[in-house]
Amino acid sequence: MDEQARVVVFCGKGGVGKTTLCLADGVRNASAGRRVLVVTSHPLKELAVTISLQGLEAEFPTAAQNLFVVHLDAKDLLAEVVRANFPIAMLAGAILDSSLYRNLIEVAPGLKEFYFLVRLQQLAERRARESGASAPEFDLLLWDAPASGHFLGTLRAARNFETYLQGPLAAAGAELARFFSKTGNVALLPVTTLEEMALTETTEMCNALRDEFGLAPARVLMNMVSPAVGAKAEELERLRQRVKETGPGESGAALRFAAGRGLLEAERAQTLAPALGAATLAVERARHWSSAVGLLAKLGEPLEALPQGL
Amino acid sequence: MKIVVYLGTGGVGKTSLAAATALAEARQGRRSLVLTTDPARRLRTALGLSADALEQLVPLDPPAPAELWGAMLDVRSTLDDAVRMYGKPNVVDRVLAHPIYATIASSLAGMSELMAVERLDQLIRRGFDNIVVDTAPSRHALEFLDKPLFFAGLSDSSWVKLIGRTYRFAAASPLGFFSRGTFEVYSKVEGILGARLVSQILEFYSLFVSIAEGYSHRARHTVALLKDPAVTEFRIVSTPQKVVADAAYFLDQLGSRGFPVEAVCVNRLWTAAAAAERGPGLEGELLDWYEAVRDSQQRELDQLKLNLGTAATKIIPVPELETDVGGLDSLERIAASASLASAK
Repeated sequence: MDEQARVVVFCGKGGVGKTTLCLADGVRNASAGRRVLVVTSHPLKELAVTISLQGLEAEFPTAAQNLFVVHLDAKDLLAEVVRANFPIAMLAGAILDSSLYRNLIEVAPGLKEFYFLVRLQQLAERRARESGASAPEFDLLLWDAPASGHFLGTLRAARNFETYLQGPLAAAGAELARFFSKTGNVALLPVTTLEEMALTETTEMCNALRDEFGLAPARVLMNMVSPAVGAKAEELERLRQRVKETGPGESGAALRFAAGRGLLEAERAQTLAPALGAATLAVERARHWSSAVGLLAKLGEPLEALPQGL
Repeated sequence: MKIVVYLGTGGVGKTSLAAATALAEARQGRRSLVLTTDPARRLRTALGLSADALEQLVPLDPPAPAELWGAMLDVRSTLDDAVRMYGKPNVVDRVLAHPIYATIASSLAGMSELMAVERLDQLIRRGFDNIVVDTAPSRHALEFLDKPLFFAGLSDSSWVKLIGRTYRFAAASPLGFFSRGTFEVYSKVEGILGARLVSQILEFYSLFVSIAEGYSHRARHTVALLKDPAVTEFRIVSTPQKVVADAAYFLDQLGSRGFPVEAVCVNRLWTAAAAAERGPGLEGELLDWYEAVRDSQQRELDQLKLNLGTAATKIIPVPELETDVGGLDSLERIAASASLASAK
């Protein structure tokens, strides 16, 4: 039995579908009976998560039983520190309400980021009560990370937490360093679309993760792609010829658009894996979405190809 | 003068639409500027801004009857400027060199919003007919409206004033100058962060408070302009898959703050009709897929229309381009294919 839930990180540019694929993977694993905790850093949880999971209980009862979602707000986390340090409720309340406290905590360098990762680690290692403290409470912890710039910022700020290593938070800092230095505890799943801006940002993010933290992607998820991605070379060639034959004008507009995009994406998908030094996985843009959770279930299907335990 | 503010979650195309809007305005003869508060600095690509320029006149070909300017928000450099402008000479250097100052631009919640308003204020004074603001993605989208006032309140906080006047003395003999409650909080926070860090932060605030005071005056003025519907229009940007939920959410959030929403932009809409005849294999599959996605998008758009009902908020459909959004040419095409220029 593992000592902790593995932390799987869905990271990447804003708007590429990190939250959606993270939830799709969560529903997929939870449907298979694994206990899954999704930690979302999406700034508007009620918008991105609550609406996406509407009707889960009715359509996927097994998943609903095993899927848990939390939003870790830095403010709440630091409130926890205060409560842990000052068990007298009234005193803790007075501290939290004080603008002196808020303004001090707010600008303490890297503290929020540091404590976020501490909490992530604690959740991954949390024991299930009923199983006699032998097994972790969750089989899998999926982190729907913030957009790439802020995600890297979180890792960087938390790494520069020497300040706290000598202070009162030293024990937590040592635990954090131990957790994240162990390979296998963390798996990265960068999410990207095959648009130029997203690819540039994904590449930069992966380079930074490799150079600064020694982290490599487990798989790169290519989201919202065309069915042309992964098509055979001769089929793509035939398509290219057809586009050339199609003149300008309204009647050819859909073909020009769909084929033009498809050919571009097929080409980019092929160069992506060697560029990032990681295997890729394509998730096609959904055709229909009858319900929000139905969409998540459909998007989860291609994720079956992920290595076991992701 | 008019201000258009684009809001929406990350990656929906706010930057491109903001830039295309300013371009459309310039083409109609109004001197325009697009301000992006997006730290990813994507506007640089779209407007061809060079690496070190925070602000630039954009050369257009063919030329427009009025100027188009692109401006970027760099939180740190705007903060530096604000410190120099509002700080007393003996304080400026000490603030800029202070160890806490290096982190305040990125750590203090609302700092980037605060600086966006500061920058907006600078730009308003420079006589543009139109300023189009592309807000930072999601996390701060609404804080943009809330935080400047929050921060303006900082200088009113009695504790900052107290510390500002008495910090040095209080550090030597704390009990005498803090109230009992304040002293308890102070010592508890020391228990969490360590005494050295807390005293550093307090010292920083004692230097910074006069700057916050100077700033708060102007922030109130600028936020008042943002609240004036005769000056400012808010537009929500989303993509077809998410627009129903996004519009409901942002309309509610903006409405409850007293900001009317002028339009919902549905970006990257697929609109082409597919030809009846189609080849076999991949071609047929692609076109089937295209039509299915397009029809799903149309259903979402219909639902949005239904939800908006007779509300004054209009819908601006923005078709997706065949190519990636990159240079000025793609902005010209967005500007030409959607009604982004302000009606007022």
